[in-house]
Amino acid sequence: MNAVDATDRAGTQQEVEAPSLLTIILDTNPHAWALLADSLPLSKAVANLLVFINAHLAINYANRVAVVASHSERAEWLYPTPANARQEQAESNGDGEHGNRAGTGGAVQPPDDANKYRPFAQLEYAFMTNLQRLMRTTTPAAISSAPSTMLAGALTRALAYISKPSAATNPTTTANTHFNYSDPSSVAGGNSLNPSDDATTTSRSSQRLTTRILIVSVSGDLAETYIELMNAIFACQRLSIPIDVLKLAGDPTFLQQAADTTNGIYLSLSTPAARAGMLQYLMCAYLPDAAARERLVMPGEGEGVDFRAACFCHKRVVDIGFVCSICLSIFCEPLADGTCLLCGSHLSMANYGQKPAVVARLKKKGRKKRVVDGGGADTPGSGGGTPVPG
Amino acid sequence: MSSTASQRALDYLEVLPGTTFTKLYQQPSTALAIFRRMLPHLAKTLVMAMLYMPTPLAVSGLDVWVKPDAESLQARDRALSILQSLRILFDAHDGAGRAAYKLSEAFARSLRLALTGGGDHRSFGVPCNTADKTPVTVEYLDTFARKQWEAILYFVVGSAHTGLGGSVTISPGTQALLQEGEFVALRGRQAHITQSGFTFLLQEINAQIWTLLIVYLEGSSGRDMVPVDVLSFLFTLGSLELGISYSTSNLTPTQLQLLDDLSDFGIIYRRSSDSTRYYPTRLATTLTSDAPALPNNSLTSSTTTDPSSTSSSESEKGYIILETNYRLYAYTSSPLLISILSLFTSLRSRYPNLVTAKLTKASIQAAIQLGITSDQIISYLTTHAHPLMRMHQQQNQANLNTPVLPPTVVDQIRLWQLEGERMVSHRGYLIRDVGTAEEYDRAVRYAEALGVLRKEFRSRGSFFVTRMDQMSAYFKGQAARKREAAQKREAELGGGSVGVKRES
Repeated sequence: MNAVDATDRAGTQQEVEAPSLLTIILDTNPHAWALLADSLPLSKAVANLLVFINAHLAINYANRVAVVASHSERAEWLYPTPANARQEQAESNGDGEHGNRAGTGGAVQPPDDANKYRPFAQLEYAFMTNLQRLMRTTTPAAISSAPSTMLAGALTRALAYISKPSAATNPTTTANTHFNYSDPSSVAGGNSLNPSDDATTTSRSSQRLTTRILIVSVSGDLAETYIELMNAIFACQRLSIPIDVLKLAGDPTFLQQAADTTNGIYLSLSTPAARAGMLQYLMCAYLPDAAARERLVMPGEGEGVDFRAACFCHKRVVDIGFVCSICLSIFCEPLADGTCLLCGSHLSMANYGQKPAVVARLKKKGRKKRVVDGGGADTPGSGGGTPVPG
Repeated sequence: MSSTASQRALDYLEVLPGTTFTKLYQQPSTALAIFRRMLPHLAKTLVMAMLYMPTPLAVSGLDVWVKPDAESLQARDRALSILQSLRILFDAHDGAGRAAYKLSEAFARSLRLALTGGGDHRSFGVPCNTADKTPVTVEYLDTFARKQWEAILYFVVGSAHTGLGGSVTISPGTQALLQEGEFVALRGRQAHITQSGFTFLLQEINAQIWTLLIVYLEGSSGRDMVPVDVLSFLFTLGSLELGISYSTSNLTPTQLQLLDDLSDFGIIYRRSSDSTRYYPTRLATTLTSDAPALPNNSLTSSTTTDPSSTSSSESEKGYIILETNYRLYAYTSSPLLISILSLFTSLRSRYPNLVTAKLTKASIQAAIQLGITSDQIISYLTTHAHPLMRMHQQQNQANLNTPVLPPTVVDQIRLWQLEGERMVSHRGYLIRDVGTAEEYDRAVRYAEALGVLRKEFRSRGSFFVTRMDQMSAYFKGQAARKREAAQKREAELGGGSVGVKRES
């Protein structure tokens, strides 16, 4: 008889899982993949990734996926097919109808196959077509001129993509779209990626779309784009979008930080044996979405993270550096004229390089500036004052 | 998934014999549909993690993986229990002889095929390779589906009010089916709605379809049909794409027979009953999803009134505004919806696109007299609440438990029902003599995690559950483990070590 009380009312909520948008950034840097050719060629990695994507789509009807390629000199969408590439394809096929169909996320019609779930087939077809086009249009000159990867650019593109559907679920903006969620143009059978379909999915469940980013990285040396990368990472942190990182090769520094700051998962498959099991890593560690992660212990927690930064002047990764007290930019060596390269503040360094005072003094708290060659064995320069604006 | 629709299908599936599952899981489309629709979220994650695992997953491995807080453990137990009752997960032993879980061979193989493609099962529907001479548009399919389905609903609701009935005709087969499911009872020549008919009406549309289809399945052997064929075809339908025509070439005789009935329900569209192509409608493609089955759930007036009055085409899933003063405004002009509302409200006035009504003690208790429960009324009002009412909920993002309906009204509806009934009866099983207090506690916790516990009588050392199959499996496992532990202890008595009993 105690069925009527306030606690009972709350329980009527339907516990349908929020749909999740997975944005994958695939590092397609040809240099790095060439190095991995023995243990895990790109074709095999892509096949594994496709199974993983299909598994993600299979988990929830409303789950969606997007893939960006972080190529050597540019970042390019692999799925959904960008509008301009769709046009090109439609023209080259000499078939205008495809242009209309393309609104559903699939680029062009994949071959009909009764043995494959259609949304999977469409995705795979679009993904592979775009990847092939990307590889075809890469010139040797471009590869030789850019040895690294455009990870910062890809991350920014991914963020821009995520922000669209997320904004649509925001209650203040949905007020207007609420009244047309009977939009019949949305395709029921397809895992449509067209943002215009969002109103249908989101308003139905009135739940936020959970988003996450997975970076499949093979290149090291990201110090070139340190500032851009860190800005993107902090943006993710602010939007509480976890960045999962699967490192197949290369130096981990910044991506490990990215996973750490955003509560993502970082795993490094450094041995050929580990790389051979890439699919199992993907399915076990990276497939659980936000709802499942609440229930499961995720890997990589509690490991040491390399928190080093890159200096703003020479893009070197530094253990100890100099920090401008005004704009907090990092430099690897003392500035020649005492003027910050970024904000232009004049900084004076009073006692830099002097022996520390023998008499024990109260240690100054705050951001420490230490000598580059100060080493760990020496006493940390307690006397070396923080640069102050002069 | 916790929606009523999948629960209904789950209840049906759970009691099927194991051989049926083996046959069902031969089809990748079925494996995918069951995976997507029937499993709780954690179970999906588990299945996916184990799908490409070469060895069985040790029980201890799973224990380490799941966080140790109470909620996670409960979710884990629920996931395991559903996986086992659907014959997806089996107990096994890993290489070292420890207890482990493994996936059903057939299920794993089919799901892998579904993910990677390939094979020659043709279970995702064979599209027609020739274009239809007169292509069928999606709008047409929607209209067709809505017309057929509304006719069925209207037949059911019409039987509640003698004045309304008879204006629509549905096929004799469907009529017989509705009687078979006891949604309507025939008295003389007039059909009368029954209590389960009301339950049927107030469900959301996806649940309605499943309810009807399960009645159909239960009776399918009487129609010379193979239930497995029917079931796997239904799951295949869920993976088809709207607006594409499929060929009937690879269907079994049962499935061909099924096509006729399904087109009566509006689930598929065929131009004529001997046509070699069929189109799935939105009712079909959303069978295995959470998406709204009809884009326009307000069931437009297309069946009964002038089709030119398209005013209702913009109305959508939510159309009811309920105020704290028990007044109700429904933005609809559909006679079907109005007559559903009239089951439990007292209607006040009607405007071209709006009906006003009031929930009164008399109206609610009249509905309860008819066999409608307060929970049904509340869930109907909740699912059909106007977006404006949900907006209020969304603004309080911090507190997601803000109710959609005014709490006072919800409580009052419940109280009105309680006035009439002082006793609730549940069918179930009383479990007693469980053993030590610790074992008792564990059993009760397990039952609670499964969601079958109704009431425990701690002082008497017994408790009451609604379902027994899972519990009996649990007790058997416990007993076996106890025996094993006892044997181990005996064997190791010389060594002086004590067999450690595994926590379940």
